[in-house]
Amino acid sequence: MNKRLNIKQRDLRNAMLFISPWIVGTLVFKLYPILASFYYSLTDYSVVNPPVYVGLDNYASLFHDPLFYQSLANTLYMGVFGTALTTAFAILIAVLLNNRKLKGLSFLRVVFFLPTLVPVVIIGILWIWLLQADNGVINTLLSYIGIDGPAWLADPSWAKPSFILMMLWSSGGAMIIYIAGLQEIPESLYESAAIDGAGFLRQTLSITLPLLSPVILFNVVTLVINVFQWFAEPLIMTSGGPDNATLFYSLNLFRNAFQYFKMGYASAMAWILLLIAMVIILILFKLNKKFGHIE
Amino acid sequence: MSIPSIERKRDYQLASAHQRQSFKNGIQLTAQYILLLIFAVCFLIPFFWLVSESLKKPSELFEVPMLWWPKSPQWSNFTLMFSSFPFLLYLKNTMMLVIPTMIGSIVSNALVAYGFSRLEWKYREQVFVIVLITMILPFQVTMIPLFLLFKELHWVNTYLPLTVPHFFGNPFFIFLLRQFLLGIPKELSFSARIDGANEFQIFYRIVMPLAKPVLTTVAIFAFLHTWNDFIGPLIYLSDNHMYTLSLGAQQIMGTLDPKWNILMALGVTMTLPVLVLFFIMQKYFIQGITMSGMKG
Amino acid sequence: MKKAWSSMIACTLTATLIAGCSTAGNGSSQNQQTAQGDGKSSQSGGRVLNYWSPFSGDSQKWDQERIAAFEKKTGIKVNVTFVPNGGLNNGKLLAAITGNSAPDLVEADSPALAYSYAAQGSLESWDTHIDQLGLGQNLMPGFKDLMQYNGKTFLIPQDSNVLMLYYNTDMFKEAGLDPNKPPTTIEELDQYAEKLTKMNGNKIDRMGFIPWTDSGGDAFTWLWMFGSKIYDSSTGKLALTDDKSVAVYNWMNKYAQKYNPAQLKSFTSGFGGMFSPDHPFMTGKVAMTVTGNWFTNALRIYAPNVKYGVAKIPVPPGGRENGTLLNSNVFMIPKGSKNVDLAVEFVKFGLAPEINGPNFDQWRSIPVTDSKFDEVSWTKQGDPIYKLERELANSPNAGHPALTKISPQLSDELKALQDNVIYNNKDPKELLQALQDKLQKALQ
Repeated sequence: MNKRLNIKQRDLRNAMLFISPWIVGTLVFKLYPILASFYYSLTDYSVVNPPVYVGLDNYASLFHDPLFYQSLANTLYMGVFGTALTTAFAILIAVLLNNRKLKGLSFLRVVFFLPTLVPVVIIGILWIWLLQADNGVINTLLSYIGIDGPAWLADPSWAKPSFILMMLWSSGGAMIIYIAGLQEIPESLYESAAIDGAGFLRQTLSITLPLLSPVILFNVVTLVINVFQWFAEPLIMTSGGPDNATLFYSLNLFRNAFQYFKMGYASAMAWILLLIAMVIILILFKLNKKFGHIE
Repeated sequence: MSIPSIERKRDYQLASAHQRQSFKNGIQLTAQYILLLIFAVCFLIPFFWLVSESLKKPSELFEVPMLWWPKSPQWSNFTLMFSSFPFLLYLKNTMMLVIPTMIGSIVSNALVAYGFSRLEWKYREQVFVIVLITMILPFQVTMIPLFLLFKELHWVNTYLPLTVPHFFGNPFFIFLLRQFLLGIPKELSFSARIDGANEFQIFYRIVMPLAKPVLTTVAIFAFLHTWNDFIGPLIYLSDNHMYTLSLGAQQIMGTLDPKWNILMALGVTMTLPVLVLFFIMQKYFIQGITMSGMKG
Repeated sequence: MKKAWSSMIACTLTATLIAGCSTAGNGSSQNQQTAQGDGKSSQSGGRVLNYWSPFSGDSQKWDQERIAAFEKKTGIKVNVTFVPNGGLNNGKLLAAITGNSAPDLVEADSPALAYSYAAQGSLESWDTHIDQLGLGQNLMPGFKDLMQYNGKTFLIPQDSNVLMLYYNTDMFKEAGLDPNKPPTTIEELDQYAEKLTKMNGNKIDRMGFIPWTDSGGDAFTWLWMFGSKIYDSSTGKLALTDDKSVAVYNWMNKYAQKYNPAQLKSFTSGFGGMFSPDHPFMTGKVAMTVTGNWFTNALRIYAPNVKYGVAKIPVPPGGRENGTLLNSNVFMIPKGSKNVDLAVEFVKFGLAPEINGPNFDQWRSIPVTDSKFDEVSWTKQGDPIYKLERELANSPNAGHPALTKISPQLSDELKALQDNVIYNNKDPKELLQALQDKLQKALQ
């Protein structure tokens, strides 16, 4: 019976079988919640009382809510600067760590990955300590080289950069993925480029980055999504302050959903987030097609 | 036969060019090494601070000016932590979540990612976009409907809501695996098909062995995600003795009067076994790369 | 090929089943009462109370002792879950109520938050049982508003705390101030603060007073003390735009503009908690602060060498003279509770003086009826701080501010407004008007 299917049909059937766990999982664990959340976004829902249909009111209110814009701006700031800096940093370290000529690298790799092993709940407290204006490690170190460190989490202009620092410190996961991707690039390509006289920078631009592009795409998309969902650290460390400088989108959403009895409003926020993220991801994919390298 | 002088001169030029090149290489290498070391030290500082705080007396925790290292390390903080915090119980509970999650993550995502990368079918890319979309929706909005769903299934206050979904694919891992599997040459699959292998055999015997590095990555991330997760356990577990390490740590933190040095001791203790595990596993997946061999 | 597929599917299913069975099996073997997972007590045959408690650390120990004593006395088994804030502000209680798996009894350590649950209609009322509780007569005036919403009783206070002004007596002497004459008006407070402030060039060595440390940083404290109504329950309208409310933020801004706001905030930033040994009052960075009676316990543990006095909170003319904010731990029954009668028994047990006694002893917290004060050891010892607490608690100007349906959001918005004024030197009147307009809609 199998042999009568042509190749296309066979491939389609096989593909469906392979992705069946995902299909089932999505229908059961994702579709219902997603549809429910869309329905809630059209309601006034305090969770403890049944939802009351209000049509598009939530969306209309959102567009008049200054907190909506502020939280979006804060998150986009982290999305753009945080992602860019973290990606550049992670690739740099990954390239350095991938250099076969250097010794002792397996130990160093662990060092960079170490931060991701520290439990999230502990990281928050640790960094509050490190970023203490007067007595914290970072400002103490800066004072050794004569710099008067800023107030970090207490200063509205430095609060977001503080979080970017944390992002950099936690980028070990991305680094590992970059390393794995770098190892797929044949040494021979670099060797022939070296013979042709290409220096480190040139090699990076023409060989490393293009061949790494599927991995870069993955890490950037993941980072962007993570930034959009970030809420535990701002909740624990700054409660969205100072002056709402760290009121990130997901924190605002969390508050509306679980503290203000406004699950409907929060659901509307979630769907707007979905749209924005989709747009960003589509843009990233297009960029990857244009500048990247596909097998 | 003597070598013509021209060739000798060229040899000499080449030799010194090589010498200059290796000297230049040497400088580049040293520079790279120093840069790495500087960053490594920076990365270690918070962790060092974690360890240092875990060994301090409560009065030393906040001393001004800052104490780099306690005057007399209080190793007793660790024994105190073990006696006041059900570490082994919570560890066991965490492992009961971690192991099924790791297995489920590897198996299900490998299968699904294979379907999205090693087979050609109409609408493959469009459906994949749907995979990505499901990744974006914040958990806060799906949490209540999901809770209701699990309530109907009578899975609340068990570990089922925290493990079973992992057997059905996870967009993050599907995405990761797909990117890697796309990089494996198609010829491998083609020639195997011509040889008469069915798709599952190709999956199991040819593609998966090549994907060991990225599968190990998936295992590590699945481990870490479960290890760190406290929201899931918070919502679904009502029994204190089913709590996990992360949730337990969160509880201490929520205290009016947290014993910070003990909390830090807990942090160190939670990090160490994972650290050892990683050290062991990383040798495995960073080495043993035959894929580039295939391409070259 | 079929064989390979079916074996793969079989493996996956088996793995799922194994994972499910082993964990579910373990869950039920450890604790029979939770086999149902949704509060039914039918399985074990005995009576079981599902109770969520917000306590941790020493308070948790006390609660566990209380539970053990209760179980011994009544034979009712208590299934306690310790969850931060009683699960009120992280979605856990919401999910449980909606999913019809709510606990029978919840204790909350944040009264405004608990009140919002009552106002949202998610609690059962205590009215039919209130006589059994033995609350006694002579509830102090500030508690009635807390307990009732729309004429029904939803919250039962277990104990309460008051806010006071703490001041460092050594620093007072050093600055030539009489430690027996703490400031009583805002004007005096500002003057004393200036005398107590020590600058080292541009850097601050010590601040006399910072309005927003400790409880001063809570959204409602100074609004209440300055005399703002905040919310008028008789009209259902917010009252935040009058002169008294505006004055609060202008007063805070004075401090901010005089010393740099970021510097001030970082000067006192730590963990925000009252119990870190790096608390600025304990380390001598700040000479005066407004916080609750629980702080006396923290001082005893972490800074036994700091000599301090306590006084009523200073107010401006027209403010709540001799008043304070009450901060109570409250019992509440979520909708869907299946053992209301058992909850009532537990609360009744918990309100008894010998049970609450150790709690009062540790934190200097107070009972809610005046007569019960006499049975507390602090009163018997003639403790002056406790005497002051009793006076303040009985004052007509003592109360729980902002008991509304939208208190959590109101609190967050007010704090953001405060930051906005302080960091950006904005005029509070406009901001308050905008805030009030926005939130008034939510109250409808």
